Order: sequence, then structure tokens, then C-alpha cells
Amino acid sequence: MSDRLRLNQAAKILLGVWMAGIIVAMFLVVPQYVGLGDAGRIIILHVPTAWITTVAFAVSAVYSIRYLWKRRIADDAGAVAAAEAGFLFCVLATTSGMWFANIVWGTPWNWDPRETTILILLLIYAAYFALRSALDDVERRRRLSAVYNLFAAVTMPFLLFVAPRMAESTLHPNCAFIQGSHCDGIWLEMNGTRVGQLGDVVLALQGIEQHGDLAVVQVEVRMPGLRDVALLTPSFELSSGKPADRPEFPGQQFLLAVEEVDLTNGRALLNMEAPGTGLLSNSRTFWTFMASNIGFLGLFIWLYRLRADVLLLQERLARREVTYGLPA
Amino acid sequence: MTNVTDYLCLTVSNVAIEYGTRRVLAGISFQVRAGETLVVAGANGSGKSSLLRVICGLQRPTRGEVTIEVGNALLRPVDALPLLGWVAPDLQLYRELTALENLAFFAAVRGIRCTRADLEALLAEVGLDGRGDDLLAAYSSGMTQRLRYAYALLHRPRILALDEPTVTFDTRGVALVEQVVAQQRQHGITIIATNDPREERFGDYILRLGR
Amino acid sequence: MDPHVSSQSISETSAPATLPAAPLLTAAWAVFRKDLRSELRTRYALNAILLFAVSTVVAISLGMGPLTVSRNADLPLIQAALLWVAILFAAFTGLSRAFVQEEEARTAAALRLSARPTAIFLGKLLFNLALLLILVGLTTVLFIVMLRVQVGNPGLLAALLLAGSMGLVAATTLVAAIIARASVKGALFAVLSFPLLVPLLTAAIQGSANALVGRGWESSIGSLQVLAGYTIALFTASLFLFNMVWES
Repeated sequence: MSDRLRLNQAAKILLGVWMAGIIVAMFLVVPQYVGLGDAGRIIILHVPTAWITTVAFAVSAVYSIRYLWKRRIADDAGAVAAAEAGFLFCVLATTSGMWFANIVWGTPWNWDPRETTILILLLIYAAYFALRSALDDVERRRRLSAVYNLFAAVTMPFLLFVAPRMAESTLHPNCAFIQGSHCDGIWLEMNGTRVGQLGDVVLALQGIEQHGDLAVVQVEVRMPGLRDVALLTPSFELSSGKPADRPEFPGQQFLLAVEEVDLTNGRALLNMEAPGTGLLSNSRTFWTFMASNIGFLGLFIWLYRLRADVLLLQERLARREVTYGLPA
Repeated sequence: MTNVTDYLCLTVSNVAIEYGTRRVLAGISFQVRAGETLVVAGANGSGKSSLLRVICGLQRPTRGEVTIEVGNALLRPVDALPLLGWVAPDLQLYRELTALENLAFFAAVRGIRCTRADLEALLAEVGLDGRGDDLLAAYSSGMTQRLRYAYALLHRPRILALDEPTVTFDTRGVALVEQVVAQQRQHGITIIATNDPREERFGDYILRLGR
Repeated sequence: MDPHVSSQSISETSAPATLPAAPLLTAAWAVFRKDLRSELRTRYALNAILLFAVSTVVAISLGMGPLTVSRNADLPLIQAALLWVAILFAAFTGLSRAFVQEEEARTAAALRLSARPTAIFLGKLLFNLALLLILVGLTTVLFIVMLRVQVGNPGLLAALLLAGSMGLVAATTLVAAIIARASVKGALFAVLSFPLLVPLLTAAIQGSANALVGRGWESSIGSLQVLAGYTIALFTASLFLFNMVWES
């Protein structure tokens, strides 16, 4: 027993040191990302909290199944504790995400699939707690909230399937942002369609030049409302087949990238990128990110087991009062 | 349906009932066999009604269990619904329906085929002849109590649980209860919960609850 | 008729592990008919949801009146969204009635003693579906008339409304059974139901917008598939979970 206690103690200290290390690494090890600046560091916190929310939901559902199966109070305590810890992480992920989005993308909320999913998760957690507080009988509270938890879990696959189809755009990396744009980009040709639209932005192809290994594409960009017109020169590395220079759209923090070039026919595939794309391709960032994931997972497990123990203890105390008539 | 001559035994083993922090029953055990009548006596709040609800599978005991042995099968109350009949002040039927509609509905969900004449005969048995087409909302409390007997006897249960059997009854009503209990003695078990000492005469055994 | 198979002889010779009960669908049908008869007599749910639907449509048409004349490319999507929001909120006022009524009138015990849980669930589900189809029919007709909505593909719209109603009922009937046992019922029904209904609403609104525009059936196959899968999954889950809700 004391061995286990000592092991627990050691794990707790290790977790504390680990998390402190991650916070330090987040500012000292992770490099700035072009276009994001220091705001890019948030992925070390934001992404792990978001996926722990999902893990918490699954853990809570598993405990609910076990409770309905065996009707043990410990399983109910596990389900509640996981949901409570999940709710905490859900709030953290949502607020950190909104803060970041407001700085980088200029809007805190865009009905992006991930935003939708996490908002619905937040609502499900809230509904779960509301249900628990509305049921007076203890046994009934445990049973019905477990049923609701599982029933909600059944709808999750559909939400994950439907959410990407809700809005045609996404704020999250890899896809362009502005309303109506797609992830596919557009092909513009010197000898064909030279003018096209990416979302609300009108692009006009002016020329394609080869400078050694680089193909430089000249594009005239007109922002919506014809407020800003600019000539951008994104480039493309021919040897690696990857976009090289990605200039920013005037007045916005989105980047114009050349995704493919066909020099012989004078064609180029242009697309919009949100800053943050390719953030994890830096190995220092990647390993800090992975360490952060592990740290947050440990933090979640520690939090919910602690909370479950507290809930069980409360239950036992209440029982002891029944049995021995101790004053409350 | 099961044969009325099948062996029948109701076992209550170590049943405890608690409401939150309030303990109502602290572990009670007994057996009743076909042909026997048990009276559960006790003051208000002694747990009589809760015990009857547990026997009928309407409530889970906090600890312990109730089993019903019929023929060579051992059943929990929730699986033995066709065997159980319950009359209690808590038993409410549909007020917006007539007595006959109520009985026809319960017969239908139980899978009992019966005609209007059968149901009218049942109503006559409990002293409600000619009132079958009245809405329950228009029933007096005594008539409602009579209809509860019709509801409970509809499927001729082997185990009849009567909670406060004569509440709101006049002398003719009390005679009805006597007749029902006597009939039930032929083929089944009767359990009566009461705080009226006059009703203790129904029982072969008396179980007194409360301290 | 096969002379060798007689259910009578089987049930007599084999040990009765479970007692004979009414056929499931017969019992479910009886529950449905009972609820229908009660509802037609009291009109608790019907009055509430129909008046709610009418008020919502009138309120929307008061606010939206001028919008119909202008040429807005997103108009079909807006109209589809408003139609489903009107249906959703009217449904929230009425669909919990079937279970709440049993608890409030304290008739649940009588029902619990007489019928198998699955039969009760199926009966209530059917009743809710009937109620919702009346609601959806009325709301849609009012919508089309009062908001001068152009329906390009009426068949597709009808299919989507039917599929959406089935999904809505599959999701909310179990929730109604849950909240019937709670202390605050009205608000809780909407609070618990809404997060579960988001996938359904999204698919239904997008499909309905396609139908209003007049696109063909192939445009909304995806929506119909989501609705069908959602309905089947939630219906199956409800069948498993209802026993645990209904047990006392």
C-alpha cells in the first residue's frame, strides 16, 4: 500500500515537472512560425486540450456502460469525474482557440467543423450536468445520466460526419478561410482562363517566370469590394514540387500559394492558405507538441481519478451517516 | 398462461429499502406459498407500501431480492408481470378514458382477448355495473377504488398485493374485499398492507413493521 | 398452416423460463391507440404544438415578408433553416407529453405492471411520430402559403420532411422518457435534445434547401442517407437503453 502511495507521489511530481518543461519549451524550443509569430505557440496548449476533450467523452461513455452493466457506484463516479474533467478541457480548448483565432484569423468564430463539434460537446456536457442536478433520487440520477451519456455518444459519429459539410470553409490549417472557397484551389492559364476567384478574392494571372529552380507566378489580387488591389508573386520550388514563397493577401493574414505549375502550358494551381499550415513539419515543434499531448493526457487521468475518489469518499461518508446515524 | 395449480412460492430475502439517507426497511425476509394470506401491519411510514411495491417489481430494493417460484421457474418480479396484481392508493388509471376503455387497454397490452361483455362482467363483479361508460374523472373515490380491483383482477393474478384494501370503502366495499381475498385463497397468494386492526383478520400470518 | 409446429405444445412442454406475454406489436399498437384516444380527448399536446407552430410561422413571416421579393441567393437555405427551427421548437413543446403525462397523472405504475417496456416505447414512439407528422404537415403548408416559398422539388421536400421527422422522433422519445422522471421537465427536454439533434438538423436543412431550389434527388442523397443512418442508430440505441430508463 505504501509502495503504491510512493509511486503515486513520484508520478505526481514527474507530471508537474513534465508540464513545467512543456511550458518552458513552448516559449524557448518552439520556433516562431512565419505569418503566425508568437501566436503559433498556442498549438502546444490548444490542440492537446481539444483532443483530451474527446478522450474524456469516450472515457465517460465507457464508465457509463460499465455502470449500467454492473451498477457499481465507482463506475458512476468515474463517469462524472471524466465528464467534469472533460468539460474543463473543453472550455480551455474553446477559449484558447477563440483567442488565437481572433488574433490570427480576425474572427473568434466561423462555424468551422472543429468549432462546431467542440461546441456541441460543450452543450452535451452541460446537458449531462443539468440532468444530474434535476434528478433527486440518487440511483435514478446515476442510471438516467448514464443512459443519456451513451445516447449522446451514439450521435457523435454523425456529428463528425456532418460537421465538415455545415460550412463550406474552415479556419483550421490546410484549407483556405474566406466564405465560399474550397480546398482545391483554382487553375489559371496564360492562354485560357486568366481570371478566377478564390472565395471572394478575384485573382488575375499576369505571368509565370522561371528563375532557376523557382517558378515565380505574378498574380493581381483584388480583395472583396475592390478595396485593395495588389500584385503578389508567390513562387514554387520545381525540384521539391512544393510551394516556396507565400505572400500575404493585402490586409489579411491569409497566404497565397502556388501548389502546382505547368510551365510548358503556362498554367498554375493557386490556392489560399491559412497561416499555420505545416507548423508541425518543424521537428522541434513536433516533439514539444507530442510531449504536450502526453503531459495533458497524464494531467487528465490524474484529475479525473482524483475527482472520482473524492466523489466516492463523499458517497461513503453519506452512507456511514445512514448506518450509524452520524450528524451531517 | 401458467396453470393455476402450479406450485407457487414468493420469497422475500433480506430486503432493505432506503430513501436517500432515510432507512425504511432494514433487511426483511419471509416466504409465502399459494393459498396463504399475509397481512403486513404497521404505522404510517413503516415501509408497508414500499415493501408491496418491491414485491410487485415497481421499485428496486436498496439491498436484497424478491423471487417468485412458479412451476419449475424462478422469476424476478419484473419478469412475472402476468402473475402480479396490485391495488394501492398510488394506483392511478387514465382519468380521460372511461372505465371500459381503461380495462380494454390493459387487457390489450397484456394480450388478453376479451369482449365488452367480459369486461362488463368484471365491472359487475367489483360493483360497478352500468358505470362502464363513465369517464374516470367523474368517478367518486370509492368507485375509483373498486375499479382498481377490476384492474388488478383483469388477468387473474396468482399473487395479489393489496395496499390499504378498504380505504374509502363503504360496508359493501368491505364485503367485496372479503370476497376477493377468499377467492384468491383458492389458487394464489394475497399480501395485505394495512394499519387498520380490523383488517388483520384476513391474514394467516401477520408481519408487524416498525419499531 | 404447418401441422407440425404448434406454439401451444411448445409452451406447454418446455419450462416457462419467461411467462407468456402479449405479442410485442399488438401491445405497442394498444399503447399507441390509448395515447391517441387520450390526446384527442384532452388535446394537451396537440393544441400546444399547433398553436406554437402557427405563432412561429406568423412571427417569421411578419419579419421576413419583404425578404421574399428580393433576390437573395441564400434565400432557400434561410427558408429551409427557418422551417426546421419552427418545427424543432414546436416539437420541443409537445413531444415530451406522452411520457410526462404518465408520470404526472401517476399512471406510469399501472402501465409498468401491465406492459413490456419495449411495447410501451414503441407505442409512444409511434404516437410521437403521428403527432410530429401532423405538426410538420401544418407548419410546412403554412410556411409555403404565408412566406410564398417556391418549392422546386416537392417530392424531395416531402421525403426529407418524413425522414427528418423519423429521426427527430427516434432521438427525442428516449429523452422524453428520461426527463419525465426529473424535477424540472419543460426546459430540460430542449436542453437534452438539442445537442443530439444537430447532425439531423444540418442534414435536413441542407437537403430541404436543395429541394426548395428544385435540384434533383441526386443532390440530397447524402442528406437522406445521414437521416436514415441517424434514425436507425438512435432507434436501435433507444430500444437497448429504454429498459434502463423505464425500470423503476
